[in-house]
Amino acid sequence: MTGAVLVAGAALVGAGGALAVLRRGLRTGIGAQALGCVLLAVAGFWALLDGAELGPGFTSSFEPRVGVDGLSAFFLGVLGTIGSAALVFALRYVSADGRGRAIASLTAAFLLAQALVLAARDPLTFLVAWEVMTLVPAAVILVSRADTAARQTVFVYVALTHLAGAGTWIAILLLADAGAIGDPSRVATGSGLQIAVALAAIVGMGAKAGLMPLHVWLPRAHPIAPAHVSALMSGVMIKIAIYGLVRVLVDWVGVLPQWMGVLVLALGAFSAVGGVVYALFQHELKRLLAFHSIENVGIIVLGLGACLLLRARGAGEWAAFALAAALLHTLNHALFKALLFLGAGSFERAVGPLELDRLGGLLRRMPWTGGAFLVGAMAIAGLPPLNGFASEWVTLQSLLRVPAYGGIPDGVAGAIALAALASTAALAVLCFVKVVGLVLLGRSRREPVAAAVEAPAAMRAAVVALAAACGVLGVAPGLLFGPLAGLAPWASEAPVTAGLDLPSTGSLPTPGIVLVLVLVVGALWLARGARVAAPAPTWACGQAVEPQLEWTSAGFTKPLRLVLEGVLRPRRDVAVTTEHGVVQEVSYSGHVPHLFDEHLYAPATELALAGAARTRRLQSGRLGTYVAYLIVLVVVLLSAAKIGVIG
Amino acid sequence: MSWAAAASGAVQLVGGLLLSPFLVGLVQRWKARLQGRRGPSPLQPYRELRRLWGKSAIDVEGAGLVYRLAPALAAGSVVGALLLVPVASEAPDWGVGHDALALAGLLALGRFAVTSSSWDVANGFSLMGASRDLTIGVFTEAALVLSLGVAALIAGTTDLAGVIGGTSGGEAWTSPALALAAVGFALVVLAETGRQPIDNPDTHLELTMIHEGPLLEYGGRDLALLQWAASARHWLVLVLAAQVFLPHASSVWLQLGALPVVLAVLCAALALTETLAAKMRILLAPRLLGTGAVVAVLGIVAWLVEAP
Repeated sequence: MTGAVLVAGAALVGAGGALAVLRRGLRTGIGAQALGCVLLAVAGFWALLDGAELGPGFTSSFEPRVGVDGLSAFFLGVLGTIGSAALVFALRYVSADGRGRAIASLTAAFLLAQALVLAARDPLTFLVAWEVMTLVPAAVILVSRADTAARQTVFVYVALTHLAGAGTWIAILLLADAGAIGDPSRVATGSGLQIAVALAAIVGMGAKAGLMPLHVWLPRAHPIAPAHVSALMSGVMIKIAIYGLVRVLVDWVGVLPQWMGVLVLALGAFSAVGGVVYALFQHELKRLLAFHSIENVGIIVLGLGACLLLRARGAGEWAAFALAAALLHTLNHALFKALLFLGAGSFERAVGPLELDRLGGLLRRMPWTGGAFLVGAMAIAGLPPLNGFASEWVTLQSLLRVPAYGGIPDGVAGAIALAALASTAALAVLCFVKVVGLVLLGRSRREPVAAAVEAPAAMRAAVVALAAACGVLGVAPGLLFGPLAGLAPWASEAPVTAGLDLPSTGSLPTPGIVLVLVLVVGALWLARGARVAAPAPTWACGQAVEPQLEWTSAGFTKPLRLVLEGVLRPRRDVAVTTEHGVVQEVSYSGHVPHLFDEHLYAPATELALAGAARTRRLQSGRLGTYVAYLIVLVVVLLSAAKIGVIG
Repeated sequence: MSWAAAASGAVQLVGGLLLSPFLVGLVQRWKARLQGRRGPSPLQPYRELRRLWGKSAIDVEGAGLVYRLAPALAAGSVVGALLLVPVASEAPDWGVGHDALALAGLLALGRFAVTSSSWDVANGFSLMGASRDLTIGVFTEAALVLSLGVAALIAGTTDLAGVIGGTSGGEAWTSPALALAAVGFALVVLAETGRQPIDNPDTHLELTMIHEGPLLEYGGRDLALLQWAASARHWLVLVLAAQVFLPHASSVWLQLGALPVVLAVLCAALALTETLAAKMRILLAPRLLGTGAVVAVLGIVAWLVEAP
């Protein structure tokens, strides 16, 4: 039954994609895709709660087959949920011209490729679907934008995800060669094969997930895609890479040695802190959101690292909780990041460019979208009573269990990861106070923003539904947490209650916390009373409040920039023009450079280009040279055969 | 529920909700004495709250819902935190659990509400304070989570009632772990209460304000709520300092009996620090708190070395 619904959902998405190509069928096609996604979501979560396995199991042979188990079902549920919201949004967002129709049908291809990665049970299907999933968004970006900058971005995206993505191929093919796909007993703990597969998977799938330092494509590619595709990329595609990582590191290679766990923990901590720190210094909303995807992938990977370490230490119960924490945060991040990207899409449609310093006051102009965006911002900042808080809380708890069950080296790693996650959460609060303040609050800072009108009903409905989902998962995270802990390959159970009632914690009864907050805040709100004085102007030491006095993104983050100066190396240029000893003009510019681009990728690119230039000298174009090459080759081969190196 | 738990619950509610302004008053009074002034009565904060409650709130032109809701949200999140932090090793469950790490989330919610309101009124001085508060908050939160983490490792649970029980008696002090965590937490106390050398609660100069900055535009009942929330934060961190990071008895009755004395001593210590320490340069405060976090990490290392 569940299987039939899943197939029907996928078929509807496909049919919708085909229909969207037709001139008359655009909206019907998108609607059919949305309906298909709803079916995928319902059936996916149902299969997770049900615990049933559908279709054949994993095989190492190259015969295409598809099936669904608990882990795939959960990610299919995530895909369906985010997909349905994004497509309802797309109903009004996608334009009705040829470009819009192409985007709408490519969206269906994108969704189907991701579903196929999740359902693939053999190496061939998995790798083919993985490649299609990587290429389709590149096509969408190229269809939607024709400028050179977009083409260059797509080049960086495709180049990096393929260079590093080779790791995925190596990992899967090594596993297939050993016959270990779906059979962890074939891989011995600490063997060279296990280490090679794990490292290759971390590089290949980590690059796709946006793990630092392989993340540089992400903040470039995500902001320039159409809003609903950005939501799918940040909300779902990088989560499919997390699916791959969980599959390989937890399911297929057995128990990893401790140092691998420490490595994964270190990568997670690095991405979490690095992602949010660079997000803080962005001046464009979508690029800022893209950096936050890196941060949240870091948080998810922190949970995964804690799971690996605790498993290596034999603490099965908490290892399962850590895995569930990572998976729960995967869903939570999918929800609020899709919400924020869709909200940003609505804002962009209403007011044009999303430069942070030139927005303001949108909560009043667009109450529905703005209100939902506020909920998403609070959720991503990890504030109670929303969903981000619950999953960050379990992740913190799991990291605290690493020293509790570990020895000194991994214990110290756990302690540092704990500090990293705690400061990441606080940095995210700083960042989203800035975003909320600059986008939603205060006065409008330019003409079109002051005249913004609320988005059409479909676009509004999508973000409001996602905000509601953030609230529901904030009140009752335990309903999903139990089944997710049960996904661990070692037997494990967590109590299924609305809150998170875990052993040796003070427990997180989320419904109780929500109830207390709502009652107290409501009572105090009423107590504030109707005795409101006449409005007063903002205090500026007696001066008039002028637009020039408005605070900027750079100003708000300046204290942190100064504190982190040694690491971030911000640039500032001050040029003073004087004439006859009198200052005529002072121009100031400052920015925080992306050090990975400057110190890692730029030298690497230069090295590659220089190497290519050297190599080109071999191609002289003269026939004689090529004949000489051939003669040398034949002589070398013959002499090699003579001394027995080959043949 | 035992008598001990009921008594501890009563102290938690009455102390947190009603007595916390008295702590602030005590610090003010003793600070004045140490500086050779007579100073206001320790009841002064109550008089200020009464005066403010009788006045109407102010609506800043152009500000909206976030500005109006922030005081209630700040006070509400502190009420949640007060219910969450027990005062003894036995405590009734008020429906919000007793988890140490959840406390960090509730404090962050209050900070989010107040600092967002600064953007709504678009007051440059408020925003200056807000951005400093949040920057320092990054390091405070790390130090808070790590020092509570050490105590949780020693006690074997993050349940705060269990932590108070697990760190009681002399045994917890045989290793340096808890002492190192206490150093980290002492800095959290200074930051969360907004005391020198990190912040100056008595400043009237907008340019030097941190916690007071975002409160600039508020008046009347809004300001009363925010000031009450600030004093309740004193109660929260001082109770944790007294019952976790200072030596305490293992019997609930002795814990409750000693609490007023230890709180008074801690208030005196705050007054003394305020008198002796000058306010730091604003950008040195994160460094100080970062050092606190590192010391707390050393506490975890010390615990690991001694762990069975």
